[in-house]
Amino acid sequence: MTLSQKQKQYLMEFFRILAVILIALALGFLITLLVSEEPVQAFKELLTGPLPKISWTEAGLKIRGINRFGNWLEDSITLILVGLAVAVVFRAKQFSLGAEGQIYLGALAAGIISLHTSAPAFIHITLALLAAAGAGFVWGLIPGILKAYVNADEIVSTLMLNVIAVQIYRLLLIQWLRNPDYGYIATDFFPETAVLPLVIPGTRVTIALFLTIIAVVATWFLMTRTPLGYEIRVVGDNLKFARYGGINTRRVIALSMAVSGILAGLAGAHLSMGILKQLTLNISFGIGFEGIVVALLARNDPKAVPLAGLFYGYLRTGAQIMERSSDVTREVVLIIQAIIIILITAERVLPLIQQWRMRRKLPQELSADHSEAAHVA
Amino acid sequence: MPPFVEMRDIVKIYPNGVVANRGVHFSVEKGEIHALVGENGAGKTTLMKILYGMEHPTAGQIFLEGRPVRIQNPHQAIDLGIGMVHQNFMLIPSFTIAQNIVLGQEPRRGRFIDFEAAARLTTELSQTYGLQVDPQARVEATPVGMRQRVEILKTLYRGANLLILDEPTAVLTPQETADLFRAVRRLVAEGKTVIFITHKLVEVKQIADRVTVMRHGEVTGEALRTADVSEADIAQLMVGRKVLFRIEKPPQQRGPAVAQVRDLSYISETGRPLLREVSFNVYAGEILGIAGVEGNGQTELAEVLSGLKPPTTGQALVNGRPVLGKGPRQVRQAGVAHIPEDRLTNGVALDASIADNLVVDRYFRPPFTRRGVMYPRLIRRHARDLMHRFDIRAASEESPVKSLSGGNMQKVIVAREFSSEPALLIAAQPTRGIDIGAAEFVRQQLVQKRNEGKAVLLISADLAEVMSLADRIAVMFKGRIVGIFQNGPDITEEELGLYMLGLKQQSPDEIETLQ
Ligand SMILES: Nc1ncnc2c1ncn2[C@@H]1O[C@H](COP(=O)(O)OP(=O)(O)OP(=O)(O)O)[C@@H](O)[C@H]1O
Ligand SMILES: [Mg+2]
Repeated sequence: MTLSQKQKQYLMEFFRILAVILIALALGFLITLLVSEEPVQAFKELLTGPLPKISWTEAGLKIRGINRFGNWLEDSITLILVGLAVAVVFRAKQFSLGAEGQIYLGALAAGIISLHTSAPAFIHITLALLAAAGAGFVWGLIPGILKAYVNADEIVSTLMLNVIAVQIYRLLLIQWLRNPDYGYIATDFFPETAVLPLVIPGTRVTIALFLTIIAVVATWFLMTRTPLGYEIRVVGDNLKFARYGGINTRRVIALSMAVSGILAGLAGAHLSMGILKQLTLNISFGIGFEGIVVALLARNDPKAVPLAGLFYGYLRTGAQIMERSSDVTREVVLIIQAIIIILITAERVLPLIQQWRMRRKLPQELSADHSEAAHVA
Repeated sequence: MPPFVEMRDIVKIYPNGVVANRGVHFSVEKGEIHALVGENGAGKTTLMKILYGMEHPTAGQIFLEGRPVRIQNPHQAIDLGIGMVHQNFMLIPSFTIAQNIVLGQEPRRGRFIDFEAAARLTTELSQTYGLQVDPQARVEATPVGMRQRVEILKTLYRGANLLILDEPTAVLTPQETADLFRAVRRLVAEGKTVIFITHKLVEVKQIADRVTVMRHGEVTGEALRTADVSEADIAQLMVGRKVLFRIEKPPQQRGPAVAQVRDLSYISETGRPLLREVSFNVYAGEILGIAGVEGNGQTELAEVLSGLKPPTTGQALVNGRPVLGKGPRQVRQAGVAHIPEDRLTNGVALDASIADNLVVDRYFRPPFTRRGVMYPRLIRRHARDLMHRFDIRAASEESPVKSLSGGNMQKVIVAREFSSEPALLIAAQPTRGIDIGAAEFVRQQLVQKRNEGKAVLLISADLAEVMSLADRIAVMFKGRIVGIFQNGPDITEEELGLYMLGLKQQSPDEIETLQ
């Protein structure tokens, strides 16, 4: 089998990431050895915890731990959506950190539509999702316009808009949306017509799974098969070149942030309409920032985001399980996560490995490629 | 006695599989000026980066005065007395010149950087070697010629005995080149050794003692005495065939005015008037050459006309459509193409693929985009086609532009702008930094456009180039056009020089008649 240059590069990249993960896990195990009484057991929880345990009994096929498996997928869905959102803005070299706020407003918009309108299921869900996407879009467009037209630094503006978004969310929730009869601050549960239908029984994995797959394909399509995607890439690669080529860079900057907001808004809808089925005081627990990790792992490539999201989700879920069922604390797990991320995002590893490979296969390569180079030892 | 520097059997294969050096042997004697020449992509820069520790050879050895050395990084190279000035400068724009020169080895007073000492050291150094710089000026506000002197001083400050200059003259005016050569001779007189990469064979004969010629990653002429070889010999070793130095230009078929520029003025953000009431026409089927010492408004003229900068006042029509202040997209749609002078900032996106770079002005049109959907396959095919037509050498059309040699990058720009079928082509320094073969090609293409009845505005610091290509020549001085001439045998370099230096000027009436 002969592989094209590009396939070879992908393969290299894949093996590199695999190697890095193994190294990081080995380091993680060393750390576990230091802090745990029963390191093997603890580590096993981290590595296999999120998987369902399938066994044969007299009664037939038996599956245990489906809820853990569900946790993994649920978390991965959020991570993938937010990861896509971050990948889009980062590709345009706009360091927008606004996903967190967009998640909140997406959830809020979805919640308002769910609770205060009624319609048949399909339409109700569609409306709520559109509202979430729209809220995210607007909350991305604002810092986008500020950046594009008055050159307001997007890191600062998005972080501030996050705070505003959370406060708007809480204001509306506490003043207007909450059900005062509950002992905690939360809305009613959403009506059946506005809850995302379940896909895997025994979990909270809903049709958000399919929506996420569509979102991945759509984002990939946007970035590689549409003029806007091309513009986003060129703006990210060299703003001056984009301008010289006639691209309306302001529009592209603003839109890149707004499109990103759509995806984050949908993540908010997944959290409210799929997971919680109501609005509560805290819904995201900072997952908007975890999306940055996913995007980095995926090198801002939408194709790679699902894998990165599933991987990172697995690690997070495994970590929770390990924390719950062994004597290893969450901090240790966070250290392991951090090691993995640092190793994977370190750019210099790949060239070194390639240089080394090159040197090994030097003689054949040269003679095959150029006969006059025979004097090369 | 062993040579000062010797590189033996150097092989370099880049991670993407490009073999840039195939068993190169290169040696330099102490105290000489050694020219290194070769086509774009021949592997000159790569070889020098290996010597400077920026790239690691896949195989081969380096000897300094007979001792084998391993140079892992530029730090070690500097410790060994090797300094390099890159093809693309690497200064910090917002720092002053003195700060840049001492960067990393700052003189200190207590725990703080001693800026006064830095400035003093800079002045001393600059006087010792006759390289004039203004220590307090910010790099971003200084012309290229000075930036280059800063780069050279920077390496000298670090104690370099061997200086590698990668295409230093590509960005210089003839005057600045003469200054640089004077400084280089002085360096050699002080006991330094200089390796000098260039595409200009005249310079090889002028300044170098010996020359090494490379082609396709191999040495085709090793350390030849420049006294013993002719320019034509070197050219043949470089290209592998005979090179035409003269361009065939059929008699002109001049058509109507394609571009009409009237009273164009431009005042920079800092309030300096850079263009003053510039008026001219460019006619179909002609090349209008703009000559002038660099920094007299030529750059701004190109940037304003192509929509990169808004004009302060004035008008310009292309095919009867007003184009000023419209932004690059509209200007391009009016039929203007632009080869920008500052190619790395404006002309390409280094991290993007060649294919993506070649469609930046047309990606939104069929066949690349239809009903909102873009077709990467067609963009790649388009790239393969242009790479073939313009002889762009790269591993594939998906290679990032940053992996190309300097000349091939320029060809990417040339390919895109020529293939956009413009009515008016603005070419700013189109052959800067490209090898003689490629320069010959670009010049032929410019003439070809003219023969097809297109209008070409050629801005070049290379007076010989302007004189050999242009039908008419306009000279700019301090933002004004001070003379327009019908090109012909009676136009001499000396005469144009007088205008370029502002010593002579035509009357407004004369200029008007020749507009
Ligand atoms: N970082 C890189 N990665 C991959 N390939 C590279 C890289 N740098 C250079 N190359 C390739 O190596 C070859 C030699 O390039 P190099 O820059 O040494 O040429 P050069 O002789 O300096 O040319 P020029 O006169 O155009 O500057 C070219 O084919 C180029 O595309
Ligand atoms: Mg080079």
